[in-house]
Amino acid sequence: MKGSNTHRIYLGILSLIVIFTTGYLAYVGYSYYSLSLEDRFYHPDYQALKSSGVLGHGFGIIGSLLILIGVAMYMLRKRIRKFSRIGVLKHWLEFHIFLCILGPVLVLYHTAFKFGGLVAVSFWSMVAVVLSGVIGRYIYLQIPRTIEGQEMNLNEINQIKDELNQKLIVLYNLDDSVLDAITQAMKKRPTRLENNILKRSIAKYSFERQTVREIKSILKQQNISGKNFKHVIGLIKDEISLNRKIDRLITMQNLFKYWHVAHLPFAILMLIIMIIHVVVTVTFGARWIF
Amino acid sequence: MKRRYAIVFISIFLTVGLSECLAQLSPGKLTLAHAKLEGLSNCTACHELGKTVESSKCLDCHKEIKAMVELKKGYHTSAEVKGKECFACHSDHHGRNFQIVRFDTVKFNHQLAGYELKGKHAKISCSACHKNEFITTKKSQKSVGKTYLGLDTKCLSCHADYHQKTLSADCTSCHGPDSFKPTTEFKHQKTKFPLIGKHADVTCIKCHPKEKKEGKDFQKFSGITFNNCTDCHKDVHDNKFGNDCWKCHSENSFHQPAGMNTFDHSKTDFLLKGKHQALDCKKCHKGKYTTPIKSSRCTDCHSDYHKGQFSKKEATSDCKDCHNENGFLGSSFTFERHNNSGFILEGAHAATPCIACHKKEKDWQFSDLDKRCVACHENIHKNHIKEKFIPEGKCESCHTVINWNKVTFDHQTTTFQLQGKHAGRTCRDCHFKKENDNLIVQKFAELKGNCEECHTDVHQQQFNANGTTDCTKCHKFENWKAEKFDHNQTRFKLDGGHQNVECKKCHLVNKSNFGPFIQYKNTKMQCKNCHI
Repeated sequence: MKGSNTHRIYLGILSLIVIFTTGYLAYVGYSYYSLSLEDRFYHPDYQALKSSGVLGHGFGIIGSLLILIGVAMYMLRKRIRKFSRIGVLKHWLEFHIFLCILGPVLVLYHTAFKFGGLVAVSFWSMVAVVLSGVIGRYIYLQIPRTIEGQEMNLNEINQIKDELNQKLIVLYNLDDSVLDAITQAMKKRPTRLENNILKRSIAKYSFERQTVREIKSILKQQNISGKNFKHVIGLIKDEISLNRKIDRLITMQNLFKYWHVAHLPFAILMLIIMIIHVVVTVTFGARWIF
Repeated sequence: MKRRYAIVFISIFLTVGLSECLAQLSPGKLTLAHAKLEGLSNCTACHELGKTVESSKCLDCHKEIKAMVELKKGYHTSAEVKGKECFACHSDHHGRNFQIVRFDTVKFNHQLAGYELKGKHAKISCSACHKNEFITTKKSQKSVGKTYLGLDTKCLSCHADYHQKTLSADCTSCHGPDSFKPTTEFKHQKTKFPLIGKHADVTCIKCHPKEKKEGKDFQKFSGITFNNCTDCHKDVHDNKFGNDCWKCHSENSFHQPAGMNTFDHSKTDFLLKGKHQALDCKKCHKGKYTTPIKSSRCTDCHSDYHKGQFSKKEATSDCKDCHNENGFLGSSFTFERHNNSGFILEGAHAATPCIACHKKEKDWQFSDLDKRCVACHENIHKNHIKEKFIPEGKCESCHTVINWNKVTFDHQTTTFQLQGKHAGRTCRDCHFKKENDNLIVQKFAELKGNCEECHTDVHQQQFNANGTTDCTKCHKFENWKAEKFDHNQTRFKLDGGHQNVECKKCHLVNKSNFGPFIQYKNTKMQCKNCHI
C-alpha cells in the first residue's frame, strides 16, 4: 500500500511547501493581519498586504489559479476517458490536494482575514470544499484500494489479510501455535458497551494497544527480537488497520457517496461567486500589477 | 443521484445566499461620515466604473478642500500631499468606526498647513485654536472637531486685539511666538523714537501708560507725542530755558548734563562772570542741578576768609563789597570808603600797600585794627620823649603822615625856647648825639636846658658858677660873640687905652691838660703883668 521513498520525499516536499507558505505568510503579515479592520489602513504594510495590494491581490490571483488548475487537472484526468491512462490516479489526487490546499491558503491571505460581502460566500464555499476534501480524504483512506485507486471488495481485502499471515510464516518462521495465538488475539473484538462515539473510539484504541502488547509478549516468548521483531509488529499493525477498515467498510462506502454530493457543488458555487468577485473588482478599478 | 443533490445545493445558495449577498458587493462598511453613501446604488458617487476612485469625485462633495486647493493654500497643497489621490490617505470601506482622517496631532508638521507652529503655539492643544469661535468659514464650523479647516493665519483671528486697532494688525512684527511679553520682535530703535541712554532702561509703562479704553485694559503705544522732552518729563525749570532740554541734558542722565557748554546761565538768577565761568558746575551744584542753591551772598558758596570781620560790622556787607568775580586778589575797596572807615589815608598812608597795615601777621586783619601810630610804626624814641608829646601813642605832636623827617613840633611848648641860631638847627642836631663810640644817642626829656648839654665849654670851666656855666650871660643865641659881656662889670674896668686894646693882648692863650684855652679869669690885673 505504501509508496516508494522517492514518492514519500515528493509528498514531504509538497507538504513542506504548504506548511512553509502558510507559516511564512503568517509570520510576515502577522502584525498587519492581527490588527482590527479599522486600524489596518494605517499599517505600513497596508498597501502591500491589503486585498487589492501588490502582494494581497497577487495571493488571490495565484491562489485562485492554483485552485482552478488543481480542480481542472484532476477532473479532466478523472472524468475524461482520453486522459484516464495518464499517470496514476492516486498521484493526480495527491497533486490535486496539494494545489487545492496551497491555493486556498493563498486565497486566505488574499482575504486578509476579512470575510464580508458577497465574496465571503465564495470564501466559505472554498473552506467547505477544503474541509470536505479533508474529510473525503479520510474516508477515501478508509476504503482499501488497488494501486490504481479502485475500491476493493471484502474478498479482495481478506485476501490481503491472508497474504499478511503468510508473510509472517514464511519470512519469520513463526510456529503455527504462535500464529494461532496471534490470529486469536487479532480476532478479538472490544465489547460494545458505550453509545458515545468518543468513548467507543478510546476503548477501541486501548483495546488495539492491548492486542499489540499481547502479540509482543508472544513474540518475546518465541525469542524473536531485533529487526524481525519490528517488522512483525509492523505487519501486525497493518493487519489491525486492515481489520479496522473491514469493520467500517460499508459505513465508509456510504459516506463517500454523500461526500461527493457536498464537495463538488461547493466548488462550483465558489467558482461562480469568484467570477462575480473578479468582475466587480475589475469594474471598480482593481488591476493588480497590470 | 449526485447531480440531483448538486442542483438542490446550488439552488439553495443561489436563491438564499446570492440574493442576500448581491447587496453586499461592497468590500466593507463605509465610515460613519460616509454612511449615507452606503448601498449598491451609491457606488458611482465615489467610484468611476473601470477606474479607481477619482479625487475629483471626492472634491465634488468636499468643496471646502477644493476651494483651498484651488487657492493653493493649506495642507492639501503641501509637498507631502500634492500629486496624491485622496484615497491614498483617506481610504474607506474599513468599517463604520474607521477613522478616515487620522493624523498624529503630536508629530504633525503644522508648517505643511501653511502655518508653522512656533513657541507657545507648538505647546498648546489643537483645540485651543481649532475651535468654533475662531473658525471663519461656516461650512467648517459645522464640522468642528472633525476638521482643522477654517482658521485664518492672522493672529487676530484667534487673539483679541489688546491694542484696539491702534497698532498694525501684524502682531508678529512686535510679538514673538513664545509669549506676548516681552515683545522680542519689537525694535524700538527702528521707531521714530530710538531709545538712547537712560531711555533704554526705562520700563515701557513709564512712557506708555496703562489706561482703560472702551472699558478694557489698554496700554497706549501709538499716538504718543515726543517732539519735546516735556511731553513726558516735567519741566523743573518752569520753561525758563525753553523746550530744548537737549542743549543741556542728554538721554544718559539729567544730572550729568552733556550739553552744559551751551547752557545759558544768564537765564538763571545768577549770572556767571569772571572766574565763575570757568568753574565746574559741580563746584556749586553739589546735588541735582535742579535743586535750588543759595546764591544771594558770596558766603553761600565761599567760606569767609576774613572770618566774619566784616559781617559783624554791616549786616548787608558781602565779599563783593571789596572783591569781584575775577579773583579774591585785589580789592575794589576805595580810598573814600577807607576814609569813611574811621582812618583816613593821607600822605604816605595813601601810598602804603594794604598789606603793610592789614596783614602784618599771617592773617589779614581789618576790623578792630589799632589806629594808633605806634600800632604800625615803631616808636624809635621809646621813653626818651615824654608821654605828653606822644599822647595815646599818637605821634602827631611832632610828625605828620607826609614825612617822618618833617617834624612839626612846637618847641615853644617845652621849657626850652628855640632862639637865635637854635631855631635854625635840626632836631637831630640837639636830640641825636653821637657818642664817643659813634653810637647815636637820642635825648629828649633827658636833655637838660643848660648850654653845656650841647655845647663844649671852650673856656674850660672859667665861668662855672655853682657847678654850671651859663653861656647866656655873655653870649646871645645868634652867634658866639660875647655881645652881652660888659668888661666894665668885671673887676677890671676898661677905660682909656684899654678900651682899644685887643682882648688877646691881655687874655693870653694858656694851656691846660684839656688843651689850650684863652685865659679870661684869674688873670693878673697888675700893670706890670702886662706892661713891661
